[in-house]
Amino acid sequence: MTERQTGGGTTEAQAAPVVLEMRGITKTFGPVKANDEVSITLHRGEILGLLGENGAGKSTLMKILYGLYKPDAGSIFIDGEEVEIHDPKDAVERGIGMVHQHFTLIPPLTVAENIVLGAEPRKGVTLDAEGAIKATEELSERYGLKVDPRSRVSHLSVGVEQRVEILKALYREARILILDEPTAVLTPQETTDLFTVLNEFVADGLSIILITHKLGELLGVSDEITIIRDGRVVDTVKTSETNERQLARLMVGRDVSLRAEKEAPKIGEPRLVAEGLVVHSHTGTVAVDGVDLEVRAGEILGVAGVDGNGQTELAEALAGMQHVETGHVHLDGEDVTSLGADDRQERGLAYIPEDRRTKGLVQDFHLYENNALKTYDEPPFSKWGWIFPNVMRRRAAENLRAYDVRPPDPDARAGSLSGGNQQKAVIARELSGDPGAIIASQPTRGVDVGAIEFIYGQLLEQRASGKAILLISLELEEVRSLSDRIVVLYAGRIVGEVSPDATDEELGLLMAGRGAEEKSA
Amino acid sequence: MSEEHREPEGAGTSTLGNMVRDAAGALVFPLIAIVFALLIGAVIVLATGNNPAAAFGSLVVGAVGSSLAIGRTLLYATPLIFTGLAVAVAFRAGLFNIGGEGQVYIGAITAAGLGVALGFLGPLGTLVVLLACILTGFLWGAIPGFLKAYFGAHEVITTIMLNFVAINLATYLALEPLSGGGLVPGTATIDPAARIPYIGLGLGRTNYGFLLALLAAVAVYLLLWRTKRGFEIRAVGLSPGAANYAGMRLGLNTVLALAIGGALAALGGGVEVLGVYGKMTIPFAANLGFNGIGVALLGRNHPVGVVLGALLFGGLTSGAQEMQFSTDVPLDLTDVLLAVILLLVTATKLVELIVGKRARALAGTRLEGSL
Repeated sequence: MTERQTGGGTTEAQAAPVVLEMRGITKTFGPVKANDEVSITLHRGEILGLLGENGAGKSTLMKILYGLYKPDAGSIFIDGEEVEIHDPKDAVERGIGMVHQHFTLIPPLTVAENIVLGAEPRKGVTLDAEGAIKATEELSERYGLKVDPRSRVSHLSVGVEQRVEILKALYREARILILDEPTAVLTPQETTDLFTVLNEFVADGLSIILITHKLGELLGVSDEITIIRDGRVVDTVKTSETNERQLARLMVGRDVSLRAEKEAPKIGEPRLVAEGLVVHSHTGTVAVDGVDLEVRAGEILGVAGVDGNGQTELAEALAGMQHVETGHVHLDGEDVTSLGADDRQERGLAYIPEDRRTKGLVQDFHLYENNALKTYDEPPFSKWGWIFPNVMRRRAAENLRAYDVRPPDPDARAGSLSGGNQQKAVIARELSGDPGAIIASQPTRGVDVGAIEFIYGQLLEQRASGKAILLISLELEEVRSLSDRIVVLYAGRIVGEVSPDATDEELGLLMAGRGAEEKSA
Repeated sequence: MSEEHREPEGAGTSTLGNMVRDAAGALVFPLIAIVFALLIGAVIVLATGNNPAAAFGSLVVGAVGSSLAIGRTLLYATPLIFTGLAVAVAFRAGLFNIGGEGQVYIGAITAAGLGVALGFLGPLGTLVVLLACILTGFLWGAIPGFLKAYFGAHEVITTIMLNFVAINLATYLALEPLSGGGLVPGTATIDPAARIPYIGLGLGRTNYGFLLALLAAVAVYLLLWRTKRGFEIRAVGLSPGAANYAGMRLGLNTVLALAIGGALAALGGGVEVLGVYGKMTIPFAANLGFNGIGVALLGRNHPVGVVLGALLFGGLTSGAQEMQFSTDVPLDLTDVLLAVILLLVTATKLVELIVGKRARALAGTRLEGSL
C-alpha cells in the first residue's frame, strides 16, 4: 500500500479527505483505447463532473469502478486503501452505487420490492413486505425523494423511475454515487429537482460522480470537473473558475457554437399538413385531440411542450405508424392519411424518431442494414425479392462518411456505436434520401455537443434547400434557436403559436396549459 | 447489462475476413461445450467400470470409421437438419417453434398417403409428394403464426399443443383410412420407383434426402440474408419497434416465419418416409422435432451451424450403436453427452466461469438475452 504520490489530477488545497482515487486506468477493446492512463480524484462531500463526448470513455471508466470491466492497468483507492473490484457486488460492498443510463428496474414489481431486491429484509424464508415498504418510506423521507413504495414500477414516469434507482443505491448504503447521464431522460423541472436532491446528498456527506455531456448542468451543480477526450484526461478544473465556452473547447478540442446561425427563411408552399388530427394512445385514451398544423417549404416549425402531451403520437400519426381516428394528413398536396409508413417514406417523408434504441435502429443489425432499413425493398438495394448487401454496404460507406458517423464502418453493429453516432446514423439514413418533409422528434436527445452542432447544421441546411421541417422537442432552447414559428402542444391540443423570441414566461404559461384563453383574447 | 462491447454474431457479412471471424466466434462455444461434455462423459464411463479411451474410440469408429458408418451418420443427421432449420428460421423472427415434432408427423403422413396414391408416377411422383409436404407443413405452421399475430397467443404454447393434435391426427390417418393392413401397423408401402433413391458409394441407406437437406440449409441462408423477406424477418426478430418504424408488417412476418419453419420440418418428415421407411409406421420415428431444437441451439440458429449440429447428433447416435456393440457402455451415454453439450451451450454463465470472459466475448453470445 503506497502512500499517496501525488498522481493524476490531484489538487492539494482541498480540505475534505479523498474518498476515491482512480490512478492510471487503462482499458483497451481490441484496437480501441477506451481509457488511457486516466486518473480522477473524488473528495468527500463533493460532486465531481465527468465531462466528455459520447464515446470519450466516461462510461468505460465508471464501469471499471463498478466492477463491470477489468482494467488492463491502473489502480483504485478507496479511503486511501488500494482495492480490487471484481464485480458489482464488490463495488456495492465498498459503498459504490451506480445509477445506469438505462434503468435496471423490474417493471412488474413494486417500488419497494425493486429497492430491496437482492438485499431483502426477510421474515423467515419469505420477503418481509412491510419491512421493505417501511425501509423505502424512511429512505424516501430522509433524502426527500418522493416515491410510493407500493406502486408498480411499470406505472411510473421516467423521472420517478430514476428516483427509485437512486434509492436502490442508497438502500445499499452507497457513499459514492455514480450517475450516468441522469438528465438525459428528465424534463427541465425534474432536472432541477434532481440537482436539489444531489446537493442535499453531498451536504449529508455523500460523494457523487456525475457523468454528462451537458455543460450547463455541470456548471450549476458540480464542484470540480474532469474532462475526458478520446480516452484521456484533458484537464481537471474547479467549476467556479471555468465557463461554458472553455469546457466546450476542452471537451471537443475546438471552438463550438451551439447558437444556430440562421438565414432568413424562404418560405414556400405547405408540404406537410395535418387537419383536425385525432389519435389514440396505445392504451386507448385520446392523445392527440384535433391538431391542425401546416409546415411550409423552407421553414422549421417547432412543437414545444412538456413530455407526454401527445408528442409521440402526433409524430407517429404523421409518419404513418399510428392509426388516425379522424382528420387528415397531407403530404405535398396528396392525402396520405390511409397510407402506411413505407408509402409515406416513398413519397418523401423522413422521420427521425425520438427513440433510436428501440425505433430508429435495429441495434444488432450492421450499419449497412440499418442504413437500408426503409429502402431495402427498393432498387438499387433490391430486385425481384432479392437484396444486395454489397450495394447496401457501398451506399452506407458513403453515407456514414458524409454524415461523420464514427466509425464509418458499414459492418459495425449499430449497438456498438455511441449515442451521438447512432443518432447521426439515423439522420444519415433519413436525410440522404432527399426527403420533401422531415419530422424530427427530439433529434438531439442524449447526444453530445459535437453531435448537436452537427445535427443543427444538417437541419438548417435542409431548411435552406426548401424542405419542410417539423421539430418536436422538449428542449426549449433547441426549439427557440432552430424554429421559425413555435406551436405549443398541451394535452393533445395546440394551445398557442408564438414567435421564437417569445419570452420564457409566455412559453412556460402555454406549456402549463394556461394562456390559451389570454392568447385568443 | 453492458451494451457497449458487442462482437458480431453469426453471419450476413460477405467479406471473407469477417466471415471467418464470425464463424470462428460462433464455433467457440459449441466446441468448448463438446470438449467439456466429453470430459464429463469420460468420468461416467469410468464410473461404469469401462475404459473411456475404448468407449470413445468405438464411438468415433461407429460415427466415421467406415463408409457405412459415415452413411449412418448422414442418415441420422438428415431429418435433424430439417427440424433444426425449422427452429432457426422462426428464432430469427424472435419466435420459438416447439412444433417441429408435430410438423414432422404432418409431413410424414402427407408423404405416406400421397406417395402410395402417386407411386405410379415414379420420380415425378416423388417431386409432387415433396412439394405437397412443403405445402401442408407451411399451412400447419401458419396456424400458430396466425394465432400469435392476430390474437396474441404465445407460440410456445400453441406449437406445443399442436404437436399433440398433429401426432394424433397422423396416427389416426395411418391406422385407419390410410392403413396398409399389413403386420406392421401403419400405411401401405410406397412404390419403390417413387421413393428417394440411395446415394450409393458404400454409404448404405443414405439417400439423396441428405443432399436435399443441405440444399434446404443453403435456401434458408439465402432467404435470411439475401432476400427482402429475410431482411424483414430478421429485423422483426431483433427489434419489432424498429421494424414497425420502417413500415414492415409484424403480423405477416410472424406468420411467414412460423409457416416456413413448418414447411421445413414437414419436408424432413416427408424425406424420412420417402427415403428411409417407404411408409409411415406407427409409432413413427420419435423426437426428430424436439432434437431439432437442440440442433438449432447448438448451431446458434445459423444454417451452417444447424448442419454441423445435426451431423454431431447423427454421429453420436450412429457411434453409440458401435460403442454398445463393442463395449459394455450403455447406449444411454450418448443421450447424456448430448444433454451435457446442450446444457453447456445454453448455460453460458457456467462456461464463462470455467473458461473466462474472453471466450464469451469472442463468441459474442446473445443466447441469454434471447431465451
